[in-house]
Amino acid sequence: MEICNSYSSSSVDSTNPSPSEYSVNLSLSLTFPSTSPQRARKQDWPPIKPRLRDTLKGRRRLLQRDYDTCLFVKVYMEGVPIGRKLDLSTFSGYESLLENLSHMFNTSIICGNHRDRKHHVLTYQDTDGDWMMVGDIPWEMFLETVRRLKITKPERC
Amino acid sequence: MNRATKLRPSTSEMNYFPDEVIEHIFDFVASHRDRNSISLVNKSWHKIERYSRRQVFIGNCYAISPERLIRRFPCLRSLTLKGKPHFADFNLVPHEWGGFLHPWIDALAKGRVKLEELRLKRMVVSDESLELLSRSFVGFKSLVLVSCDGFTTDGLASIAANCRNLRELDLQENEIDDHRGQWLNCFPDTCTTLVSLNFACLKGEINLSALERLVARSPNLKSLKVNRAVPLDALARLMSCCASQLVDLGVGCYENNEPEPESFAKLLFAIAKCTSLRSLSGFSEVGQLCLTAFIPISANLTSLNLSYAAEIQGNHLIKFVHFCKRLQRLWILDSIGDKGLEVVASSCKELQELRVFPSDLHDEEDNNNTAVTEVGLVAISAGCPKLHSILYFCKQMTNAALITVAKNCPNFIRFRLCILEPNKPDHITSQSLDEGFGAIVQACKGLRRLSVSGLLTDKVFLYIGMYAEQLEMLSIAFAGDTDKGMLDVLNGCKKLRKLEIRDSPFGNAALLADVGKYETMRSLWMSSCEVTLGGCKRLARNAPWLNVEIINENESGRMERNEEDEREKVDRLYLYRTVVGTRKDAPPCVTIL
Repeated sequence: MEICNSYSSSSVDSTNPSPSEYSVNLSLSLTFPSTSPQRARKQDWPPIKPRLRDTLKGRRRLLQRDYDTCLFVKVYMEGVPIGRKLDLSTFSGYESLLENLSHMFNTSIICGNHRDRKHHVLTYQDTDGDWMMVGDIPWEMFLETVRRLKITKPERC
Repeated sequence: MNRATKLRPSTSEMNYFPDEVIEHIFDFVASHRDRNSISLVNKSWHKIERYSRRQVFIGNCYAISPERLIRRFPCLRSLTLKGKPHFADFNLVPHEWGGFLHPWIDALAKGRVKLEELRLKRMVVSDESLELLSRSFVGFKSLVLVSCDGFTTDGLASIAANCRNLRELDLQENEIDDHRGQWLNCFPDTCTTLVSLNFACLKGEINLSALERLVARSPNLKSLKVNRAVPLDALARLMSCCASQLVDLGVGCYENNEPEPESFAKLLFAIAKCTSLRSLSGFSEVGQLCLTAFIPISANLTSLNLSYAAEIQGNHLIKFVHFCKRLQRLWILDSIGDKGLEVVASSCKELQELRVFPSDLHDEEDNNNTAVTEVGLVAISAGCPKLHSILYFCKQMTNAALITVAKNCPNFIRFRLCILEPNKPDHITSQSLDEGFGAIVQACKGLRRLSVSGLLTDKVFLYIGMYAEQLEMLSIAFAGDTDKGMLDVLNGCKKLRKLEIRDSPFGNAALLADVGKYETMRSLWMSSCEVTLGGCKRLARNAPWLNVEIINENESGRMERNEEDEREKVDRLYLYRTVVGTRKDAPPCVTIL
């Protein structure tokens, strides 16, 4: 299991196909596969106006009714229909997250930069609805933007 | 007023009255359609009507030119203009497509029209246009901008500074570049005429003391909608200034995790004085405490818009709505849930219009007890006898529910249902929703606007063509099987004005079957359908009175001539009738055939 140390601030490389195009059937996301990859990102469905769309994106998470500091997100392993829920606020960084996930799902999981054919790769869905590789951004920023996690098969990424 | 066209010749006796008398009679006829009918009766009436027309509505700014408008109605005072097609609201139309205001202001200024009111929807407005507007019309009173873009707060500063008699500045859902300038300061101290001020969509900071001074010197202020930069204590002060006459309030303030007890008390005190308040909106970054503060006046409310209240949980929304016994209009998020809609159904017996918007776009939350389903819709239809307009976003629907809704509410004028997952069938029977929507169109004889969704075959369009006799606007997404669907609609719906279709398998056969039909309609939009370039070209050739526009996927370049393949499917087609031919201001990504 690799440890991610690099916090590159480069933006998404749009020439790489995002995992969403392959795994849209597995997630419950409402992104409908449209006629072109560009369209799927243009946010034209559901038919709501930009101001409402921005308002919903900017929402602070209401997931936790009782505790102020919990950050429960759903975690799915590709190929396994039943997911788990994980409180991200209990981890200090990517290292402890990966360690915990690897124990939970009984497999080796890594971040994006050092991937190879043997290990699963951890991805997450952000506030825009896009699926991204875990590990590129600082941990605190990741906590702000992560919505859910998915452990994908290596060749998907 | 169809009687106008059936008048017998002897009614020309009416022309023995002086023109002023006829004009006075026409004054009682306000609706645009009725006035259009009047102008068709005879030449004399046409002339009288022309010079007495004060309000003009242009549903498509490219259907007519500003010069022709002014020639026909030189005495107009109020102009409504609409630019981009409706689907521009959902990012389907490039920003630079068109709908520019400037030529209109230019022509109106040159024509010395005494413009007093301007209402714009989906137009591109520049700071220069706003400046020209502010300087050209001395009696200018009212500016309403809805879903417009292209301007900044500098443009607002011109309006504030130069429009001496400004009564209304209403900015709804616009994309405004906020230069955080001092536009509110630009209202002169002599400006005391404001009746309505709405800047809720502005994203940046504003000068609070300038706002307070402006409100303090506006004794007629009835409607005030502020943006998120106005905190709780400032809001309380503003409200206290105009509490007794305030009818319409838009709240938007940063809420601290624990509001200061003193400023909260001031807010409560101010709210208690707002005895005339009937309409409440905003709450976009506000927690439940601020909403609860309004409970004392909730029984007076007729209009409530909580569709931006994304931070307020469902149970607090329910608690508030429960008190709104006189509510006629409710816009809310689906976090209110089916349970919440049942409360609305039992509490809000005067409800006429309901809009339920999605709150969870990525299906994150535990939705077993939030979000809305067919249960909520049926409850509303059963509990609210005056309901005539609904926009409902939901995750699932059944035919049985729609049939029940149709039976409960035959008075629907607008019925818009958006099932979030495209092609989703009846979740109990797994059948298509044709029968459900069929029941709606059959029962609701006055239906003017319809949006359909879920799994739908050609059958639903057969029903729509057969029964929806008053239908004027139809929105279709991910529906239908063959061209027959679209044909049934075009042939059957005699009053159809606007048809917008996306991601549906309708092609050239449907598009070309009855070219004359499009002259009776304002516009047709088709995106991600099966129409080809060849089909569109043929349409354009056979119908010179139409502008047939192709909007290209690759927004940076015009279609190359040598790349044109007539069999190529057109990504986005927008056609509309016009009397002024091809427009000259189309950007490179738009090809007009």
